[in-house]
Amino acid sequence: MATPERVAIAAAGVVTPIGADLEAFWSALVTGVSGISQIERFPVADLKVQRGGEVKKLGRIKDWCGVSDCRATRLLIAAADDLCAQTGFRPLPLDPARVAVVVGTALGGVEEGERALAGDHPRRRFREALYDGPGDRLARWLGARGPVITVSTACASGATALGAAADLLRRDEADAVVAGGYDALCRFVLRGFNALRSLTPDEVRPFDRRRSGLLLGEAGALALLVRERDLRGPRLGTVLGYGSASDGFHIAAPEPEGRGLERAIRAALADARVSPRDVDFVSAHGTATLLNDRIETAALKRALGPRAHEVPVNSIKGGLGHTMGAAAALEAFMCLLSAQRGLIPPTLHLEEPDPECDLDYVPGRARAARPRIMLSTSMGFGGCNGALVLEAA
Amino acid sequence: MRAPAIRGLGVLSGQGPGSGPAPIWTLPRPERPGDRFRRATRECLLALAAVDAMLEDGRAPREAIAGERTALLYVTAAAYGASNREFIERRGGVVHFAYTAPAVVPAEVAIEFGVTGAYGILIGGAPSTLRAIEQAARLLDEDRCDRALLLAVEIFEECGDLYARHRRYTRWPLVETAACLWLERGQGELRFQSSRGGKPAGPARRGGERFAAGPLADLREWLDRGATGPLELSGRWRDEHARLGWSTVRSHARGSAA
Repeated sequence: MATPERVAIAAAGVVTPIGADLEAFWSALVTGVSGISQIERFPVADLKVQRGGEVKKLGRIKDWCGVSDCRATRLLIAAADDLCAQTGFRPLPLDPARVAVVVGTALGGVEEGERALAGDHPRRRFREALYDGPGDRLARWLGARGPVITVSTACASGATALGAAADLLRRDEADAVVAGGYDALCRFVLRGFNALRSLTPDEVRPFDRRRSGLLLGEAGALALLVRERDLRGPRLGTVLGYGSASDGFHIAAPEPEGRGLERAIRAALADARVSPRDVDFVSAHGTATLLNDRIETAALKRALGPRAHEVPVNSIKGGLGHTMGAAAALEAFMCLLSAQRGLIPPTLHLEEPDPECDLDYVPGRARAARPRIMLSTSMGFGGCNGALVLEAA
Repeated sequence: MRAPAIRGLGVLSGQGPGSGPAPIWTLPRPERPGDRFRRATRECLLALAAVDAMLEDGRAPREAIAGERTALLYVTAAAYGASNREFIERRGGVVHFAYTAPAVVPAEVAIEFGVTGAYGILIGGAPSTLRAIEQAARLLDEDRCDRALLLAVEIFEECGDLYARHRRYTRWPLVETAACLWLERGQGELRFQSSRGGKPAGPARRGGERFAAGPLADLREWLDRGATGPLELSGRWRDEHARLGWSTVRSHARGSAA
């Protein structure tokens, strides 16, 4: 079988609750900063849980002239602005028709729908409420004229987007792809998760025996992907493989054995042509719900075998909250930065390990390590499971 | 890329004439026994009915599509709008919130028919559907699955007043459609082309606009005509134009000449 085309992540840009660019994000991860705060951007007084990972400062952009006031769109463009500041990718340095955009989202522009139905510019906002609206707006902002794709595999969307972007490059449909994920905190999703009783009044404590649920966050996370043979200059790392599998079990609850996640991991490892023994580090989905962390632990043990006990596994949702469509992309960037900087960020607020979650979850402080092959896992509503395999630069 | 063979295609299509500034040809909410479906949304039930229709078309039992060697791809531009609106306006609770996620439509199919293989969910119009067919062909070609189901659902009625505010949605009827295409390994060549440019596309279809479900309705029509030879499907959405060419279509679906 022919060796698949290698796809590099040349650079990444983010806007997050713990940092308005990639460097600030990384610094906050390794020093254990929490971005959880009282939500200020929209009314929450009637909601039981009123905290989340809200982005207080939308990156460097001062003048949003010409950009819609849709929060989701602005998160994406703030992340793109960080990416472009590092790469000089705006104005585009190559044929715009060969530049693609692939974004993942759980919510799209749903807040625009809320505002439209409340009578706030209903005609304009309804158009922006379509889930592929922010991705389209990002492509226009970049000047990209290649394929523009929006995927929505719930909280696995960021992983799906990076996998789909790598595929576009392998198929020569584009020479560069700006890809990642985003989602905005809004009343719609906060009301929903409050109703589901998935939100914790406590800290988010992945893999801790006292864990009592998640908190939501918002973010934009984008990478520039190119074929390695076309790359001139530095890179963060390589997308080696992507795998997906559906649970076929329940619309909102994960399959209790984690069989779907196990299949997704196996598929990603096969796509990457690596074995479980090659994996040096795992970025877990780690939402800190009672079920998720236990199920994920079991799935990792089955998919990686004895290796699961030998490698560090972390979750960064303790400080960020669950950033939904952006989560998997942020976690992928964290993996690559870990390899580049030789440090694995800790699992924030993990203090009393759950005996049923008995892997090495990097509690306390950042750990010196330089992983080469990394696995990032994601699980979402509707039984969507995704896994990415990444290689250090 | 190697073209996939068509094993079955179910298409449920709304009936006209509809009324109002944005005439909508609606599909009724299908009945489905079982407590699990009591609160299921119309788009989920239509997706299940489309899979039933596909199985009937392919003369296959439901077990034929179960398991981890079946991939499931879902495409929609707007079917989630109805559930989102319901949740926003009626301040829906736990169960309803879960149904606002686009991922729940293929999830209901996966649960009901035991489909546990690779999956993908694309948000967009007809070009996304053509891209998903190509993605399915690739999954088959690379032996990541033995069969691929491509599901497309679009419903409009619940947001009819909002569509009526936009001229681009009022020139042709909006035709509610639920469709599922069953693909297996085939022969011949599949070519996908996409380009962007020009003015954003408005509905430009005789017989109405179906967003992502349009290409599958076109394919059903082509099969029903008993057509043979090369097939080209096309579609537009926003400023993207896409075409998908099948050099030869091998089909076991009802109405097929091959």
